[in-house]
Amino acid sequence: MTSIREIKEKGYIPQKMTTKLFIAGAFSLSKTLLLNMGDLKKLRKSLPNSERYIRPKREYEIPKFSKDMKINNSNEKYLRPTLYCDHREPKVVALAHKLGAYKKSDREFAEGAFELVKEQMTLEICPLNSVSETLDRGTGTCFHLITAFIALCRAAGIKARYKVFAMNVIKAWYDSVVVADPLVKKWYDSMGYFMLEGEGEAFIDGKWVVAHVGPKAERQAAAGIPITKFGEDSIGRWFFAIPGTIMIMESIPYGFSGTTKLLKIIAPGSMERVNISILKQIEKGRDIINKAGGADSYDRMVRMEEGAKKPDIKIESKSQIVFED
Amino acid sequence: MISFDDYIEKFDKLVQKYIPPKKDWTPPDQAVYGPKDPFRVPIKEGKELQFNAIKYQFKNHYENNNMYNSFCKQMNITPSDIKTYDDIEKIPLIPGEFYKDYPHGRDFAMWLANIFTGHIPQVKISGKNPNFDDIINSFNASGFVVAYSSGTSGRHTFIPRDSRTFNISEYAIAKNSITMAYPVYDYSMKGYLLMPNPFKTNVFAGKVCTIFFNAVSEVKSAIDREINTELIKLSMTGSGSFKAKMIQKVIAKMNKKIVNDIIKWLEKNEKEKNKIVFAGAPFILYAVTKKLIEQGKSFDFSDRAAILTGGGWKIEENHRMPLEDFRKRMQEVLGINTEYCLDLYGMVEGNGWMVQCQEGHYLHIPYTYYHPMILDENSKPLEYGKWGRFAFLDGSTFSYPGFIISGDKSRMLEHCPVCDRPGPVLEPEVTRISGKEMRGCAEELRRMISMDTGDD
Ligand SMILES: [Zn+2]
Repeated sequence: MTSIREIKEKGYIPQKMTTKLFIAGAFSLSKTLLLNMGDLKKLRKSLPNSERYIRPKREYEIPKFSKDMKINNSNEKYLRPTLYCDHREPKVVALAHKLGAYKKSDREFAEGAFELVKEQMTLEICPLNSVSETLDRGTGTCFHLITAFIALCRAAGIKARYKVFAMNVIKAWYDSVVVADPLVKKWYDSMGYFMLEGEGEAFIDGKWVVAHVGPKAERQAAAGIPITKFGEDSIGRWFFAIPGTIMIMESIPYGFSGTTKLLKIIAPGSMERVNISILKQIEKGRDIINKAGGADSYDRMVRMEEGAKKPDIKIESKSQIVFED
Repeated sequence: MISFDDYIEKFDKLVQKYIPPKKDWTPPDQAVYGPKDPFRVPIKEGKELQFNAIKYQFKNHYENNNMYNSFCKQMNITPSDIKTYDDIEKIPLIPGEFYKDYPHGRDFAMWLANIFTGHIPQVKISGKNPNFDDIINSFNASGFVVAYSSGTSGRHTFIPRDSRTFNISEYAIAKNSITMAYPVYDYSMKGYLLMPNPFKTNVFAGKVCTIFFNAVSEVKSAIDREINTELIKLSMTGSGSFKAKMIQKVIAKMNKKIVNDIIKWLEKNEKEKNKIVFAGAPFILYAVTKKLIEQGKSFDFSDRAAILTGGGWKIEENHRMPLEDFRKRMQEVLGINTEYCLDLYGMVEGNGWMVQCQEGHYLHIPYTYYHPMILDENSKPLEYGKWGRFAFLDGSTFSYPGFIISGDKSRMLEHCPVCDRPGPVLEPEVTRISGKEMRGCAEELRRMISMDTGDD
């Protein structure tokens, strides 16, 4: 049983900003659905002859839990279990030990957890579930993946939390993920920004260090952006946070999985299409990395480009350009 | 044998309309049209021409282009900072990406007008929701020559040239090539353009070849239908729409026809003992020779033919052909001398056409108007011999700032290791930096045409 006190303390009730964003999101989703009943009928199912999503095989092993593994039973803020994120679950504990919990330095451990979640787990749009299920499956939304990272850190006695924001995606990403499905596109366009995105943060040597575990190297390569490392923020590089929407949270709040659940119920076809598109993107990114001579060499070359400043352009109206209807 | 001076004079006469009257020459015109052999100007003189042209254009863009003016102010550089040749590398460089980041619809028209340097004539654009082609055609009807890269990734690089700047690009591509091909070129040659017909496209690689029609007596175009952004989109994306499928079918049919047409053309010219020249995408010639090998046929065009290639060396999907192998193959199957099989390197963003020398097949840089650089990851110029990103200051572009960081990787040498021309060269093969986008118009064309030459 979750006590009222716990609900309040751990922040299960969405913050004011979250609520506002939820309402905006739900409203715009319903509007999109209402205005697109025709599309919706087609999207409800994946068409029989269209390709199906096949979940990729998990890329890592989870060792067996044993009783002599140390479990973090602290009730301190950012170290205790929260919604969908119980780091005391045996699979989490076992995997954390495999990654060197209580043996490596906090930074080394967090880097290892970051690498595992970011590079060996795969983005898949699906409803939220317990962190063990996520680790078992090896896939999930960015919130599944952030939760996996946070749970691993907490299992190793390292404080960890969520950093959530509403975002505007860069164009390349928009083209491959959002545009992949007409309904998602309409939804996105009608809101101007995608609902919520997030990153993890781990408390290392007295500082909160950001962990953007959502996109694996292949997806970043497909979008032509650098492969971000532990400590590198996605905001401003990969996502543009809508000003004023950045929130720090100990837990995923109640109602958070509402949108994906809703999407799964009303438009499973949409979800499948996006998931297929993600796998294609990974395939494309792998090819790009191989051609560049490996991930490091790809990364160096792209960062080279990032270094250069681009002119800002303010498009002024010119009277010489005449539009005739 | 014809002297080099007579050789170039003859060419200049044929392309008079691309050259402004001498009394109107500015330093950029002097740098492009002045030298007889752009690759043999003594270094000191070349640097002077280059400096004057670049300084002139920097001032021009600084004063007449709001976008570039505020960029320079941000970088804290003004024309008064450029006093000597050593100062030119301070000129702010625009990443090539900038010219790919454009809005759609009517905003696109305003964007083009905003990146343009200088006086804009009236442009009338009709339709509520004009597409890229509508807008470009409207601009070009008003005296612009807006052209674009074919953009495999679906993103084009759009460059707004005025006719003066476009003429320079055309003149330079022809003159630089003909200079290197000395003495094989003459007007009697029959030409085959392995690019879209310049009169039916705004794709830069095709359009810049308009001058080919003035320089030789007869030209055929391999791709003779209209090529616009819509068609490119439909043929590249492989999107499953009915229209896209139709277009892909038509293109596949066209491919077989191109190869057969070229073979017939070769047979005719061999019979008539004509001189011939191919210009354009190497993969088409690869496909032609492949078919000829299958048929056990060959030709002997030695000493009376040239091949000028450009746009990338991906011959088939997953197959890059070393340039040396390509030249050997052209000699074996068509009898064309390897020294007359020359590759060009250039891009829509600039007028600096680099051409291989016959002796060593290094890419020589036209340094009288064009300042090449190789940059490190912090966009700082590297010394000769180091690999990095290719960038340039183009002193010949009047209508947009041609001070650009490209997406290509290369290495520059102070002198050609093989021939005695005094200027700098690039390695014979230039490659794209990241997979962000496949580079090279030939590669774009190859994909679009999806040449049916696989091992099927
Ligand atoms: Zn040379």
